[in-house]
Amino acid sequence: MLRRRQFLQLGGAMLAMPSLARAQAPRGQITLMAYTGIFQDNYMATVVEPFQKAFPDIKVNYAPGGTSAAMLGNIRAQKADPQVDVVIMDVTTSSIGNAEGLFDKITPTEAPSLNELYSEARAVGGDFGPAVTYDHLVIIYDTQTVKPPLAKLADLWREDLKGFLSISAPPNIQGLALTCMVEKMEGGDHRSSINKAVKKLRELSPGVKTFEPNPDGATLLLNGVVKVATGWNARSQLYHDESKGRIGVLLPPEGSVFQINTINLTAGSKNKAAAAAFVNYALSQAAQKAFTERLYYAPTNAKAQIEPKALARTAATPETRARMIPVDWMEIVKIRDQWNNRWRREIIAAN
Amino acid sequence: MTSARWPLLAIPAALLLAVIYVWPSLDLFRTAFNETGATGAMIEAFSLKVWRDLLADPFTYELTVNSLWLSVTATSIALCVAYPIALFLFRTDTRFRGLLAVMAIMPMLVSGVVRIFGWLTILGDQGMVNSAARWLGLISTPMRLLFNWTGVTIGLAESILPYMILALLAGFGRLDRALEEAARSLGASPLRTFVRVTLPLSLPAIVLAAGLGFVLSMSAYITPKLLGGGRVFVLATEIFEQATTNANWPMASAMALYTLVLMLAFLGLSSVLSRRLAQ
Repeated sequence: MLRRRQFLQLGGAMLAMPSLARAQAPRGQITLMAYTGIFQDNYMATVVEPFQKAFPDIKVNYAPGGTSAAMLGNIRAQKADPQVDVVIMDVTTSSIGNAEGLFDKITPTEAPSLNELYSEARAVGGDFGPAVTYDHLVIIYDTQTVKPPLAKLADLWREDLKGFLSISAPPNIQGLALTCMVEKMEGGDHRSSINKAVKKLRELSPGVKTFEPNPDGATLLLNGVVKVATGWNARSQLYHDESKGRIGVLLPPEGSVFQINTINLTAGSKNKAAAAAFVNYALSQAAQKAFTERLYYAPTNAKAQIEPKALARTAATPETRARMIPVDWMEIVKIRDQWNNRWRREIIAAN
Repeated sequence: MTSARWPLLAIPAALLLAVIYVWPSLDLFRTAFNETGATGAMIEAFSLKVWRDLLADPFTYELTVNSLWLSVTATSIALCVAYPIALFLFRTDTRFRGLLAVMAIMPMLVSGVVRIFGWLTILGDQGMVNSAARWLGLISTPMRLLFNWTGVTIGLAESILPYMILALLAGFGRLDRALEEAARSLGASPLRTFVRVTLPLSLPAIVLAAGLGFVLSMSAYITPKLLGGGRVFVLATEIFEQATTNANWPMASAMALYTLVLMLAFLGLSSVLSRRLAQ
């Protein structure tokens, strides 16, 4: 039987429980570094702000980071005294950060949402940061001037489009992805050779207006400089909506290639608990659903229940996933310089 | 202040230079001797591997030739335009001289990116040049003036023009009007006076301006990047690609040092030539 003193101690402890739990809950500030522009706007609205509502004691500062390589440069420069806690970047770049010890491993204990990810999304980072978004290469075109509309990748070689093409060449990963797609279209496999792709792209080269669209293909398209461009699906879908359908988006029936963004914990983060809480939230069903439905990045959480209408505009449906060309980006990175040189000497030079 | 203490005045500037230029340059130098792993990771080392790769790659020499050719062409075009403008500004007695000088260097007040977008409008398929040529019946299909060497050369020549005008104005000090008047009074035609008197006296200014234009062109990045359409490969664009797309800092650092050595060699040559011409 409880004595009076023990009873009072237990009662006091129970009363103190909520404040103890709050004291242990992550709190403070963290800095998230990720892409700027429409990614930032939409990620803030669909992931960062809801996270801050769920964790009112944590403030997330969004640091726009430019390209993935630029973000890696920032993290390298801050290695001795990291100012950034979480980074979202392309997998080809985050793998460099993992190898250089710039990022920490993440366990399901720290981020239980890891257990809900597609197996390939978890595997892509190994024990380090997993995939947080999937995107894929599409062909965008001006629906007002391209008649008949584009229906397949092979349409890029159409006579009426000569001189009106914007193709992002390597080392931009759009160019690397296109190489894989054209090789497959020509009946080859990029894992053994890209000879067929190079031959075919060489034929396309004289009709290409620019191999380096600035600021991007969609802008050149809206300005009437080009009629067709390569682009990433998520942004292109948004441009489609913003241009009231003027920009058409084609996922080529010949197949496409996934671009993978990973979410990473910076090694030496001053607030690792809060950073891990954010990573967990970003990978959760709710955040993945909200971001996919807003910006059409395919989710990496297998349990996220995405609206069918939004899902159809990503590459996450079973039919489109089946069309994706399997690409091991770690292997591509190793031969990127060779591909880059072939583009410069054999494709771009063919004018 | 005694003359012995005058050098003390240079200490703040020297300290600033040490912080913003010398220290990063040393860091760049150190990075150029690191290695890059197969998947792009930077490996701390003191190795010549990156230098061997850089100097063994024929593309490095292609980039060098491209950069030199672009710099020489853009500088020559800019010099042909800048010289008469600078000479006019130097000689004119009009009370609007100051205003005219400001107008000549006004492009420096506009962002390089904005100027490039201006050129996109002027040189594009539907731009001013093509529209005028079509209206005059000179062409039926648009000339390709953008996203190639032509566009980059035009854009770069325009971007270095104000700097060259200023350099010419600064170097015209020895241009004595009395000598030209003497030549004219002895019966020399205006053309002969220009060729035999004005031009030789302004050669040091020309060398100075050409040196400046050349160095600015060699290090130009925005113009080849935005007007080149991915077809114009020069050292500056390659350094950028290596650093910000491939994250290959050792290679980017080695290329930057290689370019720096090229430019220093050229500046040395230009300085010697300028001194000889001035004697």
